[in-house]
Amino acid sequence: MRDVAIIGAGIIPFGRRDEDTLMDMLAYASLKALDDAGLGDKSVDAVYVGNMGGGIIQHQTAIASSLVDRLNLLPAAAETIENGPASGGSAFKNGLLAVASGYYDFVLVVGGEKMREVTGWRATDFVATMTHPQAEYPYGITLPGLAGMFTRLYMEKYGVTREMLVSVALKNQEMGTLNPFAHVEMAISKEGILDDPASIVNNPTVADPLHLYDACPVSDGAAAVVLCPLDMAKKLNKVPVQIVGFGQATDNQTLQEREDPTDLKAVTLAAQKAFDMAKLKPADIDVAELHDAFTILEIAESEHIGFFKKGEGGKAALAGKTRLGGQIPINMSGGLKARGHPVGGTGVAQIVDIVFQLRHELPKDRQVKNAQKGLTINFGGFGNNVLVFILRRVEQ
Amino acid sequence: MKKKLEIVAYKCKKCGKLHYPYHDRCLKCMNREFDKVEPQGNAKLLTFTRIYNLPWGFDERYLTIGVVEFENGIRAMGRIKADEKYALKTGMKMLPSWEPIRVQYGENVYGLTLEPGG
Repeated sequence: MRDVAIIGAGIIPFGRRDEDTLMDMLAYASLKALDDAGLGDKSVDAVYVGNMGGGIIQHQTAIASSLVDRLNLLPAAAETIENGPASGGSAFKNGLLAVASGYYDFVLVVGGEKMREVTGWRATDFVATMTHPQAEYPYGITLPGLAGMFTRLYMEKYGVTREMLVSVALKNQEMGTLNPFAHVEMAISKEGILDDPASIVNNPTVADPLHLYDACPVSDGAAAVVLCPLDMAKKLNKVPVQIVGFGQATDNQTLQEREDPTDLKAVTLAAQKAFDMAKLKPADIDVAELHDAFTILEIAESEHIGFFKKGEGGKAALAGKTRLGGQIPINMSGGLKARGHPVGGTGVAQIVDIVFQLRHELPKDRQVKNAQKGLTINFGGFGNNVLVFILRRVEQ
Repeated sequence: MKKKLEIVAYKCKKCGKLHYPYHDRCLKCMNREFDKVEPQGNAKLLTFTRIYNLPWGFDERYLTIGVVEFENGIRAMGRIKADEKYALKTGMKMLPSWEPIRVQYGENVYGLTLEPGG
């Protein structure tokens, strides 16, 4: 297998993009990544598109075929990858394996979603289609609902408090105000969403015990990267970012069938594979983008990935250990919570954010000083399909 | 007349592990043969949530949904019949029924409903 590097990265501002179609967003992000890679008018060998809802929301299928035509990347091979909210991570994995195998040299991976063209009612139902069709979906369960049930168990077992959850929301929304690509660029205060009596209005319950500011927004957005063999990347001008570790694991679809529903087994297993491949340990990671669709997930994932012991993640967040300058800065992009969560785009956006970190291209207020190694977790379903990637800066 | 709970769980003929919903291979031993098992007795509430941002297809202001474990070990999701003022707690006993849980294409869809204090 060949070593693989990222040579180009691009992202467009997330949010509500009424003026753009899904295809517009995928094309804009792709062009930014291709330009960043310095490929000019050259084509790529293959294109992988991560998208979850085009068939449902836009009534559009075969999206990758349409994208290569729009970008004139013909006759590149093209596939759309649907794997729920892990679609972006899965598309990236397919690009990685295609280059590592030696079959393709230059691959474009793009992930994107356009969710705001339907009502919140419809978008919530669309995301809920990933639940079990007989044992869960008919009851009206939603992903925030599953997260609420998980949070209740996690609070009872590990003593996680609302104040700990709020500390994650405060950090990520603060970082969102510094990220020009973030959906939510609004600073919030602990008083406004927790302490003040008016917080019940500002921060209403969404899925008890989770509140509005515990949840990510519903976003439009897209992000893209270009991959090639590391030895070719070293001949280009950009600092290459090598993919040194990758792991993927699955778990039972329904929470009720997991022996311990607070145990995110797929995160642990995917992380073990990624760390084994990279020959690294959690303490070696300088910066991480975790899948904080809900604040509880940043805390739980930070424990399952090995940054903190079980039950310590909430305390660490509260103590500022996951902030810039802390023990392990998490979600310096604002995470899903503030950068936004266009479901099929998130896994690629996380990679793009880590690439910017490892190339040392971010302003001081978001840049982890001298970051050399970064990690992402893309969390599909409610933790039943998880991808972990470890990236490393390659000095030229 | 009270309807029978139409939940069918599957007990592995080799190792005895209970499955709900159905799997083609046992989650513990990979065996492919199962005995059908029905839920028995009252149910214990394992976790729950009250959802205020509902998906398309529901007109209610909120839904209360929980996961319970029956006396014979079957675990299932169900709709909880309790208003906002009722203090639900994990571990409490729930009385199960089989009732309409939503309307789809003009037809009632039945499912597990749970009333506190069974």
